[in-house]
Amino acid sequence: MTSRRTLRLLAVPLALGLFVAACGSDDDDDGGDGTTATTEASGDTATTEAEGGDTEEGDGSDENAGGEGDVEDQQESVEDTDTEVEVSENSRSYGGDVVYGLEAEAVGLRPWEDTCGSPCLNIQRAIYDPITEQTAQGEYQGFLAESLTPNDDFTVWTVMLRDGIEFHDGTPLTAQTIADMFPIQQAGAITSGLIEGAGLVGVEATGDLEVTYTLDSGNSAFPAVLTGQTGRVFEPTAAQSEDFISNPVGTGPFVLESRDLDNATTVVRNENYWLEDTEGNQLPYLDSIEFRPIPDEGTRLDAVLSGTVDMMQTLRQGTIRDARDAGGDFVLLEFQGNNTGGGMFNTAVAPYDDVRVRRGLTLMNNQEAVIEALGGTGISLPTTQWFSQDSPWYSEAVADAWPEFNFEEGVASLTEYINDPARSDGKGVGEPIDVELSCPPDPTLIAAMQVIEQVWSGSGLVNVTLTQFDQATHINNAITDIHQAHCWRWSSDEDPSISINPFVAPPEESPVNFPNYFNQDWFDAAIAAIQTADVEERKALYESIMLGLAEEFPIWYSGGTATMVMTEPQIQGINGWLLPSGDVGQGFPNAEVRWHEVFIAE
Amino acid sequence: MVRVIATRVVRLVATLLAVTFLTFTMLEFLPGDPVNAILPPNAVRTPELIAQVRADLNLDDPFFQRYFAWLGDALTGDLGQSYVTDQEVSEIITSRLPITLQLAVMGILLALILAVPIGILGAYKQGKWQDTVTSAGVQVGLSVPNFIFGIFLIWLFAVNLQWLPASNWNRLSDGLVDNLKTAILPASALALTQMAIFSRLVRADMIGTLQENYILSARAKGLSNRFILFRHALRPSSLSLMTIVGINFGALLGGTVIIETLFAVPGIGFRLINAINQRDILVIQGITVFIAASYVLINTLVDLLYSALDPRIRRS
Repeated sequence: MTSRRTLRLLAVPLALGLFVAACGSDDDDDGGDGTTATTEASGDTATTEAEGGDTEEGDGSDENAGGEGDVEDQQESVEDTDTEVEVSENSRSYGGDVVYGLEAEAVGLRPWEDTCGSPCLNIQRAIYDPITEQTAQGEYQGFLAESLTPNDDFTVWTVMLRDGIEFHDGTPLTAQTIADMFPIQQAGAITSGLIEGAGLVGVEATGDLEVTYTLDSGNSAFPAVLTGQTGRVFEPTAAQSEDFISNPVGTGPFVLESRDLDNATTVVRNENYWLEDTEGNQLPYLDSIEFRPIPDEGTRLDAVLSGTVDMMQTLRQGTIRDARDAGGDFVLLEFQGNNTGGGMFNTAVAPYDDVRVRRGLTLMNNQEAVIEALGGTGISLPTTQWFSQDSPWYSEAVADAWPEFNFEEGVASLTEYINDPARSDGKGVGEPIDVELSCPPDPTLIAAMQVIEQVWSGSGLVNVTLTQFDQATHINNAITDIHQAHCWRWSSDEDPSISINPFVAPPEESPVNFPNYFNQDWFDAAIAAIQTADVEERKALYESIMLGLAEEFPIWYSGGTATMVMTEPQIQGINGWLLPSGDVGQGFPNAEVRWHEVFIAE
Repeated sequence: MVRVIATRVVRLVATLLAVTFLTFTMLEFLPGDPVNAILPPNAVRTPELIAQVRADLNLDDPFFQRYFAWLGDALTGDLGQSYVTDQEVSEIITSRLPITLQLAVMGILLALILAVPIGILGAYKQGKWQDTVTSAGVQVGLSVPNFIFGIFLIWLFAVNLQWLPASNWNRLSDGLVDNLKTAILPASALALTQMAIFSRLVRADMIGTLQENYILSARAKGLSNRFILFRHALRPSSLSLMTIVGINFGALLGGTVIIETLFAVPGIGFRLINAINQRDILVIQGITVFIAASYVLINTLVDLLYSALDPRIRRS
């Protein structure tokens, strides 16, 4: 039962945050931490020179009519990009100012209190350091932490902090600091849910630099929790002051200098930053970073092309396509990642309570056409599971099991239901089913939903009604089960347990089991996966869940969602930054930059 | 005159009440619960928490009770507090108003600088090719939405010529030149439609004025065309222009919303769009009412000024 408690609300932020972040608003959480999981996730990045040959194939606007050849073309196009996280070989140099165009303003910068999506996290990562970070191979290592040691059943984690680290105001980082943060986090609008979801019941200073975290049930992936908002370290005494909003105090590589909401946030070099590069030079390299919110996608791209800003982020596939087409000597740091678009059926409601309906509708979902409607042709691939092809969690077995678009088979599956006298929706034999398909009012999402609507309606077996709600209402409808067929985003680049475990938990205990579909075997597998540190065993357990999804279809997929950071060519160090151990970090998932090693090449 | 003023003030108050009521009502009927937007997406939405938020914001009170409570506070200058940023709404407005005002003033000035010569030329050369060309240009100005013109300006002056920044805003405290560099493109985008409206007005008024007897008399005296146009014809043609300028200035305060968003200018309109996205209801209410009130107030002042200047209007 404790395991269930742990899972309750587990990673609500992640599931919600990813959906929201992918939709491009800063009102959302990154979903950054939630719970669990260790080891390998994926950081599949793609670095593309805009002038390079890769870009031309990337457009492909005429591609993608839906045939198999189109899939191959598309896959080839994506695979043409360099998928390695690489450390820049240019010699590092100090100095320089960078102006970064974000897709939205960060409302607040308090890790425990303020909603923080991808744009906001770009700023927070400059000011705050996390206790742990993820490597390019998906492992979690200490960042502010020197080591993390679990007990035998993973219910107690002992974290040893690095010595000699100071906050921006000169206060030393000690174990007591982390312990003092905990009550603030427990009361925080953001971290309270994360802490409850992680089953974190106590944080204690058991030495000058030794912190002991106590969980209410075992979690082998607990270090992943300390990578996100729960592990983002702030100075707890300063945090009590209202002044903290305009004067946040972290241990990060940059110090907030000025903040002009909706216009510019400027951070300057932390002269006392604790981290050094591999040659013993003190980090960071840059003098300052200026963050500029530029909500219009076209203007943001033009701002880079015109030199108004030095770099920009985008979470939109259409903008990636435009950036590829724009030419110029820019570096496009694209990230495919494990985030996939799609949707869900509320299986507690007829006719979605019948697998024949879910299977039929899923078979009639033309992923390539949806990707094209989203502007992702040549950028994103169709998906079959929660992991991209270069993720260590990716399963060929699942890829084989997930059905391809097959209209005739879909019709057959639906027909079988419709002609069943005992059909669950109470309608007469032969009558079409009614489907309400809901999405937020984003133009590209609406276009994608219209593609699905046309195919489903074209069968003559489905009456589709499209509905739209603002994003907050859309999310709440999913949480409170006021939905039928609901567009959504699945997965993340964090440990699978963060998004999968709460998804397969009993619906009455886990509000993020949005489809309300419960399978005891899946749940048991998810629990087993956070009670072992054996990577292969964990892979097999999550693979079994993905295979189950390919049989029961509580959700459908509509293709991967790429993100991008576009920079002037001399800005380097975004791709291939290092952890204190010397291992390469996970790059720039979700268009979030780690700043400590960014430099301007001469 | 006192009666005229009293009548206008009564109308002003009635209009403002109607605006506040309609704004409040429309927001009330938006789909979805504002609590969903107020709470962070990852907040654990327990019934207790939702009830607490609703109680804190008086969301469970009857509609009219909330409306009159808000109205009472608004009359004392208290427009409430942002759910999202915790800032006072009045502070949000006052801190951003100078930026929006600057854009509006620059837009009007740019429009006038272009519109007056174009209007005069069209009137003076009525029916000739110069008139045809300027009229066509004006028609384009009226037809093209200002945000499309803004995108064109970015493409031309920022991306291609790289003379001006595509976005961002430098405050006056950063220096006048730096400020103007970031203001000129959005102000120009705002100016296009205004220029078209103003020049049509000037042209029409000038055509009428140029047919007046005193103009014929001036010509008979041998005065130069330039002198006649700018000293004798323009002045009487300017009264209606100034009226429209006043009215449109009020409209521009609200009309900057799209342009501010396009150019990432942190004015009132940009904040309004962000508040809508964040469903920050008190900010939406406050800014909407402020824009509407500004518009109505400026209209009333123009009416009063017009009445003072022209007895015929006062009598009518």
